[in-house]
Amino acid sequence: MSDALNLKAYDLWKTYGDEAVVQGISFSLAPGEIVGLLGPNGAGKTTTVGMLFGTVIPTKGFVQFGPWQLPGQGQLARAQMGIVTQEDNLDPDFTVFKNLTHFAHHYRITGAAARQRAGELLALVNLEHRAEAQVDELSGGMKRKLVLARALLNQPKIVFLDEPTTGLDPDARQDFWRLVQHLKASGCGILLTTHYMDEAQRLCDRLLLLQQGKVIDEGTPTDLVARVIGREVAEIEGVETQILQDLAARYETWYRAFGSGHLISLPDSDPEVVWDAIAAHHPNRLLRRPANLEDVFLRLTGSVLE
Amino acid sequence: MKLITATPWGVYSVWWRHFQVYRSTWLVNCLPPVSEPIVYLLAFGYGLSPLIGEVDYLGQMIPYARFLAPGMIAIGVLFQSFFEGAYSSFIRLNFQKTWQALLTAPLSYTDVFLGDWVWAATKGTIAGTITGLVAVLANLYDLSSLVLSLPLIVLGSLLFGAFGLLVAGAVNKVDQVNVPIFLVIIPMFTLCGTYFPRDTLPPLLAKFASLLPLASLVDLLRWPLGLPPWWPLLLLWLIGWMVVMARLAALRIYPRLFS
Repeated sequence: MSDALNLKAYDLWKTYGDEAVVQGISFSLAPGEIVGLLGPNGAGKTTTVGMLFGTVIPTKGFVQFGPWQLPGQGQLARAQMGIVTQEDNLDPDFTVFKNLTHFAHHYRITGAAARQRAGELLALVNLEHRAEAQVDELSGGMKRKLVLARALLNQPKIVFLDEPTTGLDPDARQDFWRLVQHLKASGCGILLTTHYMDEAQRLCDRLLLLQQGKVIDEGTPTDLVARVIGREVAEIEGVETQILQDLAARYETWYRAFGSGHLISLPDSDPEVVWDAIAAHHPNRLLRRPANLEDVFLRLTGSVLE
Repeated sequence: MKLITATPWGVYSVWWRHFQVYRSTWLVNCLPPVSEPIVYLLAFGYGLSPLIGEVDYLGQMIPYARFLAPGMIAIGVLFQSFFEGAYSSFIRLNFQKTWQALLTAPLSYTDVFLGDWVWAATKGTIAGTITGLVAVLANLYDLSSLVLSLPLIVLGSLLFGAFGLLVAGAVNKVDQVNVPIFLVIIPMFTLCGTYFPRDTLPPLLAKFASLLPLASLVDLLRWPLGLPPWWPLLLLWLIGWMVVMARLAALRIYPRLFS
């Protein structure tokens, strides 16, 4: 994309009273790239996104998006941004189609041009058959797709998706992911916040792991998993903690309590030796599986994603 | 809080959004401002005129219905602009999240605030004008006087629309909008010289009523019947109220959208 715009967040801080909600977050987002903010509820994801488009004023730090700096030039920057907020704020007074044509007016897209753009976007998100429906008649997944369509009216260079698939059924999530990948392919830079590990792993080129407002690690999903955990983990029930602790110490691997049992990472160099050692204790349950981002989060923060 | 970043298109676009909602149900929307003054004029004009006959206003005797008509115009302005600013803006701010959605477009806070405010004022102006037209048809107000009164109707609508927005920004629950209605709107609507001259009230109460902004608006709208010599002060009083209300409203709503 020739007129591509990069976004850079510089040392963003947000405090409310004594509480620091975001603490020194910096990152960049390039065209055609999907960057994910992955973290549990309350990690500061939505506050960070708010600072990127101007509704949250940073206590410290700023955002540079092309020639515009936020806070201060949010209005100008938003002309090139598409924003899907977490809350549903579609217009219940209008039909699906008019939600798009009337919102297009704010971008100075009016008349036949607005109707054409609305038609294109409804086709893109597979809602053309619901054009005359009232917003209240749409399912949750359809509403999210309509909010996304509304965010694309201005052909944005960058799109923020704040927990876009929360509460959607698996089919609707797959459908939404298809749209996100289509946007990426068209050269759009995308910032996605999520607490769904599978969503982050599948969609994101790079991830920032957030906990209590801080970036605790970052990298590509594959690199993060490989670096922090390794290739495989074993889930075990019915083996003494002391035995696993000794195994982990001997093979310099990681273990911790998980649910009613334990997790232990299998060393990449020789996974069989640890696996066989565990199996020799005849656990009630033993499962070997590829390591994932949930394990990364568990190791880095000691807690699971919620 | 950064202000003065409004663009004419931004303000117009927000106003236009509200107008599209209004237009889609225009018949229902036009009913209150048309029916209300007709009912009032019928009830009070025909009902009370035989009992009252004429009233003494600024030293001259005026037929009661002619005295009443400008008061009804002011009430149309007050109710429609205040209720749009208070209830409808509250709903757009807290339930429909319309303000939040608009702020994902290239619109500034000032655009959205001014768009809502001008829309509330538009509804007051529509109501005041329709009420005036009913009064013209009933031969209680001259058409030329109504045309010349339009700036006053707009000013009153801006003032009470801003008051409504201040309420929308100040309350946390929609039921709490009733508090300023009972404490301010109803006393204004009844005591400010709408239905009877204020000098029939006890002096202290009359003075209090005269300080309320609706009193100034009613007195100015009665200009065809006569004006007190200090009328420019009434105009300044209205403008002052409007500026203060709008500023307070903008300050109260801002923290609900930005943190």
